[in-house]
Amino acid sequence: MDDETRDSDFEQAVPGASTTAGPAIGKDEWVARSGERRGGRTGWRGVLEARLARVPWWTWLILFIGLVALLPVGFESGYVRRIAFNTVIFVLLALGLNVVVGWGGLLDLGYAAFFGVGAYTYALVSSDKFDLHLPIFLSIPLAAVIGGLVGLLVGLPSRRLSGDYLAIVTLFFFQIFLTATNNSDNIFGDDLAGGPNGLINIDPLSLFGHRLEISHDGIFNVAYLYVALALFGLVYVALRLANDSRTGRAWRSLREDPLAAELMGMPVNWLKLTAFAFGAAVAALTGSLATALDGSVFPQTFEFPLVITIYTMVILGGAGSQAGVVIGAVLISVLLEVLREPGDSRFLLYVAGALALLGALKLSARFAAVLGGTIVLGFLAHAVAGRIDEGWTSGVPNGGGRVAEWVDEWVIVPADLAGWITPASYIGLVAIVLGLTLVRGWTRLVLLVPTLYLAAFVWENVLLAKPEPTRFVILGALLVAVMVARPEGLLGEKRVEII
Amino acid sequence: MDTFIQLTLNGLTLGSVYALIALGYSLVYGILKLLNFAHGDVFMVGSFIGYGALQALGGSANPKVPLWLLLVLVTLAAMVGCAILGVAIERFAYRPLRNAPRIAPLISALGVSFFLAYSVQLLFGAEQRDYDAFALGEGTLFFSGFDIGNVRVPLLRIIIIVSAFILMVLLWLLVTKTRIGKAMRATSHDREAAAMMGINIDRVIVFAFVLGSALAGAAGVLFALRAPTSATIGFIIGLKGFTAAVIGGIGSIPGAMAGGLILGFAEAFTQGYISTRWSDLLVFAILIAFMLFRPQGLFGRPDINKV
Amino acid sequence: MKRAIMLALVSVVAAVLAATAVARPAATVSADAQQAVSCKSTLKIALVTPLTGGAGFLGNAQLSWAKYAVKRLQRTYGLRIRLVTGDTPVEQGPAPAQALAQKYVADRSVVAVIGPATSGAVAATSRTYFQAGLAHISPSATRTSLTQGAVKEATQAFFRVVGGDYIQGPSDAKFMVEKLKVSKVVIIDFQEPYSVGLADAAQSFLKAKGVTVIRESTSVKTTDFSSLVTKVPNDAQIVFFPTQQPEDAQTFGQQLLEQGKRAKVFGGDGSNSPDKFKLPGSYVSNFAPDISGFAYNKALIAGWKRDNPKSSLESFGPPTYGAVQVAMNAIRRACNVGKGQIKDRRDVVRNVKRIVVKNWILGGDFRFSTRTNDPLNARFYIFQIQSNGSYKLVG
Repeated sequence: MDDETRDSDFEQAVPGASTTAGPAIGKDEWVARSGERRGGRTGWRGVLEARLARVPWWTWLILFIGLVALLPVGFESGYVRRIAFNTVIFVLLALGLNVVVGWGGLLDLGYAAFFGVGAYTYALVSSDKFDLHLPIFLSIPLAAVIGGLVGLLVGLPSRRLSGDYLAIVTLFFFQIFLTATNNSDNIFGDDLAGGPNGLINIDPLSLFGHRLEISHDGIFNVAYLYVALALFGLVYVALRLANDSRTGRAWRSLREDPLAAELMGMPVNWLKLTAFAFGAAVAALTGSLATALDGSVFPQTFEFPLVITIYTMVILGGAGSQAGVVIGAVLISVLLEVLREPGDSRFLLYVAGALALLGALKLSARFAAVLGGTIVLGFLAHAVAGRIDEGWTSGVPNGGGRVAEWVDEWVIVPADLAGWITPASYIGLVAIVLGLTLVRGWTRLVLLVPTLYLAAFVWENVLLAKPEPTRFVILGALLVAVMVARPEGLLGEKRVEII
Repeated sequence: MDTFIQLTLNGLTLGSVYALIALGYSLVYGILKLLNFAHGDVFMVGSFIGYGALQALGGSANPKVPLWLLLVLVTLAAMVGCAILGVAIERFAYRPLRNAPRIAPLISALGVSFFLAYSVQLLFGAEQRDYDAFALGEGTLFFSGFDIGNVRVPLLRIIIIVSAFILMVLLWLLVTKTRIGKAMRATSHDREAAAMMGINIDRVIVFAFVLGSALAGAAGVLFALRAPTSATIGFIIGLKGFTAAVIGGIGSIPGAMAGGLILGFAEAFTQGYISTRWSDLLVFAILIAFMLFRPQGLFGRPDINKV
Repeated sequence: MKRAIMLALVSVVAAVLAATAVARPAATVSADAQQAVSCKSTLKIALVTPLTGGAGFLGNAQLSWAKYAVKRLQRTYGLRIRLVTGDTPVEQGPAPAQALAQKYVADRSVVAVIGPATSGAVAATSRTYFQAGLAHISPSATRTSLTQGAVKEATQAFFRVVGGDYIQGPSDAKFMVEKLKVSKVVIIDFQEPYSVGLADAAQSFLKAKGVTVIRESTSVKTTDFSSLVTKVPNDAQIVFFPTQQPEDAQTFGQQLLEQGKRAKVFGGDGSNSPDKFKLPGSYVSNFAPDISGFAYNKALIAGWKRDNPKSSLESFGPPTYGAVQVAMNAIRRACNVGKGQIKDRRDVVRNVKRIVVKNWILGGDFRFSTRTNDPLNARFYIFQIQSNGSYKLVG
């Protein structure tokens, strides 16, 4: 902490001020020293943070877009490009949800339904279903407008309802959407939207009369990635402008204290409605783009796990911060994709674990002790288990991959997993981790060592064996962990609720 | 007429289970003003614990103990297991967020719900588990009973309805006649005042979770006796139980019971007389109507915002 | 003013990006394009099926048989094959299948795909596979509209080795009319493609034969069917129940008995599971007979049992063996045509149709129909559950 005030500080603040030490006339010392009181780190970290904070937001935006745009240059695989596209879609969805949850403070649990509304709208006006083939200048804005209208409709009950009840109403609206789309092939006897079979043969995007084929020889057409990026840029800027305007400030006041906002004369209901409508419009827009690429739409895509996924992205990134939400979306999207293949995702636990340990204990003797202890314990346990019974360590880690060979010597991977071990080890791990939050000091450090090893065991034998439920288990755990430990997420603002 | 009786019976059976779940929601909401989204998944875990207990006791084909004892033990196992689970959830996912913005514990609850459902799927697979009550006692549960007109009321249904009723009565007695019940009512009325009166709020909250989760566990067993359970039913059944709580008035115990029964009847009758295809939709529409025009439900008090 | 400039700037950037996207020629296909793969190297066959989630039992059965097929048939066809698996849990809709399709299309060493297992996934990804020229042979996607009808949801690169629902529905209905002499049938669907397709097919056949049909529909998530059972008339003989969860068929049958209804449950191939659906008197239809009924399968079954001691024979696995057999046969032919190389994966597609397999695992000989990519003369087998829970072939 810089304790001394230099005269030069004052001089810069007020031109022509006296250079003698001590309070200057016409100058509030307390205000002038406010910079010291603001939390910030010293040394090179502090300087770095200060410098970074001065970079304007649109620089980051252009950097991000540029990076993703250059991705296809580095990676030629259609798969990677497709994943990049999916990630941008998720980013857009997260941005939309951020408006509702982060800025408006409204818990909208039916968000995926708006995504679906946009998807179906585009599908219905751009396919053979009703023989409408609108150009995208009509169909995409139409999807957004309809999404916004539906958002308004859903938001209407919110006038009378507080946060919890609003969550319920949106949840039920979501259920209604699911039921309606699943039964859409039998509405009074007419097949309106394909029902469970969905709609296929939907037109791809066509710009200026030029059809943008979704794939060449089956490989993802990278043009779609650029379109998605363009859309992302537009939406980001538009939302940013909205947030910096009066509406944004009004939203913030609504979020912090709706009662006070109302008493201050804010049109609370109208604000809620616009928040809903904006979020819904963004989701619907995204839905139309995603459908154009897929060429088909099915009601099974819009299920509750999608809602939870987007929520995790927003919460992790920091509700209320657009940049944070983008980062959160990228992280989670990539994580989910990597988790598909046990061989590729194995390293995740070890890297994440090491980083977490580093973050918690910093580079210190304790860190070295815990890390070293875990490694040693591992080798010991592996050796002992191998001696007792060959079969206990002769198994092959799921999915192979490079890391598997190193890990094979360290983690106990039985060839034949007895039925009770899976639930016992998993539940045991959860219990120990929860218990760790209750103890402090030396006990915690010492217990950390076997816990880490148990975590590696469970990871290898239980979680990687079934990647699909694992991804949702991780999402759920992340959601709880972030809310409890760091509710503002990565880049969000710390909020204090005034009772 | 027979259809009517049968549908009434269906509604009663379903409604009893919903009522038990709704009670859990009401108990927690009354004190914490928190919608425990994870409650439905606690119900699901209860049905799985019950299944495990059933298998441990020999399975429904060859039980090692007499039928009545089997049912009691299985239900108790589920209730105890869920109570522990409920306490753990409260302690680690909700208590740290007691002073956070209202949205925070809600999101945490979502995370817990997801975590539970997919953990069960991870550990035990996604297949359905059938208690196969049919085989219990060689079909006595299904075939013995009494008749109302042409409709037979099987023993199993009687057991379910009566057990649920007994549990509800026990709960009501607990809440109205005991000290801890009085403490719970006081806390739900005004938390700060209760604290100032010397009531240990933490303990009251834990107790509410214990009760609510135990009831959910029992509901899990009673439900699974008639229909297979799986890792993902927690969401939809929880939603229905939650609907029941809201219809009856969330925070009110007689309301939860009434709401459960009403929902059970509504579902049975819309499926029976109108259409099975749209029954869910109709139920949700009823709920939204309630939320718009009488958000406090049937028995609840209107929520007056104190400034 | 500043805002307007910013918005304009971004719009320009956006428009430029989009324009370059349009103007960019197809050259981005680049190195993924035509590179021949040597048949002496390890080729990959991808299995796309739900390994986890509600239909996990289906996927895992398919996996065990696919592994066995690869192991057993490599020498026969002189190939080195590695099986890669992609999980498409049914709860997540078509998205996982689409991502996997992109992955396999981009990987040149993947020369054939077994699956997708679910019809929805086929509808969502067939175009992608077709454009890349990747043959996808499904052992379980039975939806009629994939290969029949005015708008076929699947492409020319899609093949299936089991009969579609357009065979199962009418053949089940035919059995009901001819052997069971029904006059009133209740048909239930679960608002998802498989059951709706089967229900529709059965319904039209029954109606044409003058049978009274009552159609009901419920959500696939329902497990308590009480009210549905209440609606079954006392004089209905059969309830057609094309579920994909055998426990539901069992529960439904029990609840029918509980409420004193006489109707018997008739399940489709999705309910085929002697472990879980064992209510005596019920019927089940399936695209495969019990494969142990064919003498030439004896060694095959014994070998599978050795590799999978804890598993029992069920119906979804053996067609997968057949599918792998067809795939490897086609790959071998493509290799012969390309003289030790597969120059273009489309060669594999072209060779699939001509394949004839004698002593097919599901009985008889196997060949494809000339008109569609479905098997010629596929038939469905109908079983009745006996009092000891075993399945007896009755039709």
